[in-house]
Amino acid sequence: MADHSPEDNKLALKVVFYGPALSGKTTNLMQLHSLLNPQRKGELMVLETRDDRTLFFDMLPIGLKGESGLDLRLKLYTVPGQVQHDSTRKAVLSRADAVVFVADSQTGQQDNNATAFGNLEENLEKVGLDIDTLPMAVQFNKRDLPGVVGDTELQQRWADTPWAPLQMASALHGKGVLETFRVLLGRLYTEVDREFALATGHGIDRDTFIRQLSAASEENRA
Amino acid sequence: MRNFEDDPTLEDLLTSDQRQRLNQMLSALCRKPVSIGKDRSNGSVALEFNLETVGWLSGGSCEQERLAVADLVSFLMMFIAKYRLAANLHHDTTEASYAELQKQNAALKASEARYRALSDQLQEKVDEQVAVIKQAQMDLYESARLRSVGQLAAGVAHEINNPIGFMSSNLKVAGDYVNDLRERVPDSELNRDLLDDFADLIAESSDGARRIASIVSDLKTFSSIDQADHTLCDVNDLLSSAVHLLQTEYGHGVDILEKPGELPKISGHPSRLSQTFYNLLDNAVQALKCRQQGAGAEGWSGRILAKTSVDDGGIRVVIQDNGCGIAEDIREQVFDAFFTSRPVGSGTGLGLTVARDTARAHQGTIQIDSREDMGCRVTLFLPIR
Ligand SMILES: Nc1nc2c(ncn2[C@@H]2O[C@H](COP(=O)(O)OP(=O)(O)OP(=O)(O)O)[C@@H](O)[C@H]2O)c(=O)[nH]1
Ligand SMILES: [Mg+2]
Repeated sequence: MADHSPEDNKLALKVVFYGPALSGKTTNLMQLHSLLNPQRKGELMVLETRDDRTLFFDMLPIGLKGESGLDLRLKLYTVPGQVQHDSTRKAVLSRADAVVFVADSQTGQQDNNATAFGNLEENLEKVGLDIDTLPMAVQFNKRDLPGVVGDTELQQRWADTPWAPLQMASALHGKGVLETFRVLLGRLYTEVDREFALATGHGIDRDTFIRQLSAASEENRA
Repeated sequence: MRNFEDDPTLEDLLTSDQRQRLNQMLSALCRKPVSIGKDRSNGSVALEFNLETVGWLSGGSCEQERLAVADLVSFLMMFIAKYRLAANLHHDTTEASYAELQKQNAALKASEARYRALSDQLQEKVDEQVAVIKQAQMDLYESARLRSVGQLAAGVAHEINNPIGFMSSNLKVAGDYVNDLRERVPDSELNRDLLDDFADLIAESSDGARRIASIVSDLKTFSSIDQADHTLCDVNDLLSSAVHLLQTEYGHGVDILEKPGELPKISGHPSRLSQTFYNLLDNAVQALKCRQQGAGAEGWSGRILAKTSVDDGGIRVVIQDNGCGIAEDIREQVFDAFFTSRPVGSGTGLGLTVARDTARAHQGTIQIDSREDMGCRVTLFLPIR
């Protein structure tokens, strides 16, 4: 539910990192905070955690200015993955414009992935969103660990879904995080451009959108 | 309604009191006083939070000082905002959970009510079906009984009618012959006594034959094989047949007082009415017997009153006895089919049920007034239609 206020020429979009507990959502956001160098970048807010586990949410605002002077904001949120925080998850998910689903690649975590995905579907419906039309990227994280489900097997499993190909990542080591984010930006752009005419109305084309919002900071550019 | 994630304003983050104090503290650190405000002024520095300008800092001795203070304020606001966001989110989710809970509660109540209604209906339906089955069973039993009694009675009546007919007429002729004999035999005391005795024997036999004929006629009335259709009935006739039949069954020791009133004929079901009268009289006889066998029966004599009258647009049939009455605790059940207070084998338990159903079939009512050890009065009311 993009928040557009024409009087300030401001457009705020919301991206939510969803997934089972401990899959690496917060890690993804922390990596984005250090890897990204967009036009504008706010502070990473890590709200209440206990033993490294999110209790409310984390949030990182980034932004860019269009030629028309459009003030485009992206607020990146993580939800708490633990089962018991469902109502918080639902509140954070509401009015989302896009979702990154962070799955855990470890063999023993596949049931949790499925449960979390079902929960995402359910909660989207509850907040009036449709999983089939919402821009979404699916990332399988922790590829660095031994005993993860094979790459090809995962890709095959997801081949017939709108979210193929999957993004493989090792967020802890900063790998695949930007790539996942860029895939998401691409899908998000399609939707937002359709509604707000980013290209024709504000001079923001797909390439600018993705490049500007996911620009890597100097020290990581190598 | 604001969402928890809406960008906070300066007022959301700091009350004016807090802003005042913060201004004082910051000014104490600076060379010249600084002040946080909502509006931009000459030389003021933006206070940013989440890429959002929430206020402006003015005053101070130089740009550098203002920038340093603005940084500090942004840093502080970060923590205030964290708390605000968490609190707002908590508030939102708590409210949503509570609303959800109430919705579930309401749904639960609704479904509970639905199930209760369903189960009530089920009980009703079961009761209804049980009643239908009981009724059908009883009707079946009763109609079979009526039919067999009717058939038996009709058969017996038919078989007895002929012989009793020729016996009566033969006895009459025999009586005439005795008179003839008086002229022919020599007149002696011995012969006269013999012939007188002979005439008495024939007269007694004639009387007996007549009584048999009347029982046969009663039987025919009682069993009047009309089955379903209503015909015009003479209630007095039916009642008196039942009385006679009962007296035949129990011997003439039963004291039944008949008080027939002047009645119009009513449309009814003769065999069911007869059966009902018979059952009620039979109950009365049983009640008398029961009291007879009980204690304190000296000086008491059992009586049954069978009375008919017309009032309130109907025929009232009262059958009253001074027998043992109906005990208080079983009065509720006396109409239940198969309920019987008598020792097993001495009654079918259908007596009063048949009476009540007959009353209903005639759009009438039946009423029982009884006091234990005083007697019982059954009033059958049959409307004249
Ligand atoms: N080996 C490995 N560990 C990772 C990776 N990404 C995250 N982790 C670890 O997994 C644990 C959980 O990571 P978080 O980012 O806090 O997980 P989360 O999804 O935010 O968890 P919740 O907030 O409870 O939902 C931490 O110990 C991370 O260091 C990865 O790519 N590889
Ligand atoms: Mg987390």
